[in-house]
Amino acid sequence: MIRETMTPDERLWSAIRLERPDRVPIVPTLCPEPAARLNGLPLAAVVRDGRLAVDAAFRVFDGYGGWENPYPAVYTPVGMQIANIFPMRMRIPGKDLGENDVYQVEEQEILKPEDYDRIAEAGTDPFYYDDYLWRITDIRREALGEALGVFAEGYDYFTAECARRDRRPFFGGYALHPFFMLSLMRSLVPFTQDLYYNPEPVERALQRMTADVIAKQIPIIKQSGLSMWVLVEERASGALYPPAIADRFWWPYARQIIDACWSEGIVTVFHLDQCWDKNIAQFRQLPRGSAVLELDSTTNIFAAKEAVGGHLCLHGDVPAALLSIGTPEGVSAYCRRLIDEVGAGGGFILGSGCSVPADVRPENFGALIETGKTYEPSKR
Amino acid sequence: MPDPLSVAIVELRRDEVTRQLETRIAAGQDPLALLESCRQGMTLVGERFQRGDYFLSELLLAAESFKAAAALLEPHLSKSRGTEAYGRVVLATMKGDIHELGKHIFGTLLRAQGFEVHDLGVDVPPVVLVRKVEELQPQFVGFSALLTTTFQSMKQAADLVDRAGLRRGFKLMVGGGVTTPAVREYVGADFQSTDATEGVTFCLDVVAGRRA
Repeated sequence: MIRETMTPDERLWSAIRLERPDRVPIVPTLCPEPAARLNGLPLAAVVRDGRLAVDAAFRVFDGYGGWENPYPAVYTPVGMQIANIFPMRMRIPGKDLGENDVYQVEEQEILKPEDYDRIAEAGTDPFYYDDYLWRITDIRREALGEALGVFAEGYDYFTAECARRDRRPFFGGYALHPFFMLSLMRSLVPFTQDLYYNPEPVERALQRMTADVIAKQIPIIKQSGLSMWVLVEERASGALYPPAIADRFWWPYARQIIDACWSEGIVTVFHLDQCWDKNIAQFRQLPRGSAVLELDSTTNIFAAKEAVGGHLCLHGDVPAALLSIGTPEGVSAYCRRLIDEVGAGGGFILGSGCSVPADVRPENFGALIETGKTYEPSKR
Repeated sequence: MPDPLSVAIVELRRDEVTRQLETRIAAGQDPLALLESCRQGMTLVGERFQRGDYFLSELLLAAESFKAAAALLEPHLSKSRGTEAYGRVVLATMKGDIHELGKHIFGTLLRAQGFEVHDLGVDVPPVVLVRKVEELQPQFVGFSALLTTTFQSMKQAADLVDRAGLRRGFKLMVGGGVTTPAVREYVGADFQSTDATEGVTFCLDVVAGRRA
């Protein structure tokens, strides 16, 4: 059994600062869907009621003995649309889907080529709230203010529940990389065609959106009192695009955002779905300790440790499939390997690869938490 | 010397592909030969991809060009002699999942390689899959998944085709970001990948007898 000598916050920040914590910090990405499932609630219930989603998440937290910093995935699908967090049409459990189905997004070409310049001229939020949002949601315009209020209350409630447990939320701000945002709005194939055949308007939009992300998020993060936020990218990796595209349309904007945050003492948790094996070394160009790379298990996290270990903290990456159809022994063995290899020397947060899946087996989730808390690394 | 149409496909000059096709169709050139030139272009694109000179985005753009070219040629091909597909593939996102981006990419790449692709869409009930397999007698069936909750319906469909005595007639593939070798075993599939191009290579290898 490991003797704990740090508080959860100290443990987390020790890993982020690339120091060696007393044990590995644990932060699973527990979204409302697995929280509902682990509580025996229908998924539609947490989609309708953000407060219930928070309660479900903390019942899991308490029931499994807690972990470091709760992941503030306090969303409802409609909430993500109206808060400009996920700009896609959605199918909602209990409405478009069965009571126990996972909410899903529709890949559709909503943004049109002429919209790039409208974003560049008007700015991200004015374009989004004056026009784009109404292409993807059936919420009424007059109900938006109240719905945003309910969404914000969910975060406040989450933060209050953290405080009751002497914890702080894992992060205090959240945005999509402008490249990812545009790809979702435009859909992948047309967006890719734009990058190759009509790149200038895309660039103009990216420049404006990058400036907008920085101007909007830094005050939000500072107001949260936390020094960490999440930037999401799921479509820009070398698994899809060559360096010429990434270096022109993605990396410079990522750098601008991360550098702007770092200059304010804010660490960026880079949520990187997709396989980043081909680009992972590029992240070494970021200032040491300025980011945490949150990997989803399609990137080889062990190779990532070789590439950026000692420079950036890694977070992940117990595969969703392992949590869904694997065994507690298999989960535990994988966690031990992560702790031994990726956690060697510090700079590692144990978590799920992307979100804990909605059909996680309780015993597998328990194995993740338990192994993190009790396994004594064989390599220090 | 490659046909300029093949070169336009390889160099991702989609407007040039359209221009050439329109000019050459109007000049009475054999539509089947034009389609073959496009396909040769796709083969060269595939070679560039294998060498690491091209990435998936470029493969996808070339395949989209090919798709547009095939659509342009289609009305003329019906007057000409038919083409023989490499093999028949049935694709589906099974019950519980409506995501189809990966499946769309995979289907586009397969068509560009000369496969006959039947895309059953999303949220496909296992019984529908079984009926389609029975009807189409494919050499390949591919399940795409973005959600772990789809594993059950993929397994159920695989079990149903097995019970119907149809399983030996095709190779079963599973793909998508959440799939792993363990999912392949769980479903009882022959192949698994998170990379659409690996799936295409698998199909080509099986057809060519390079893989069992």
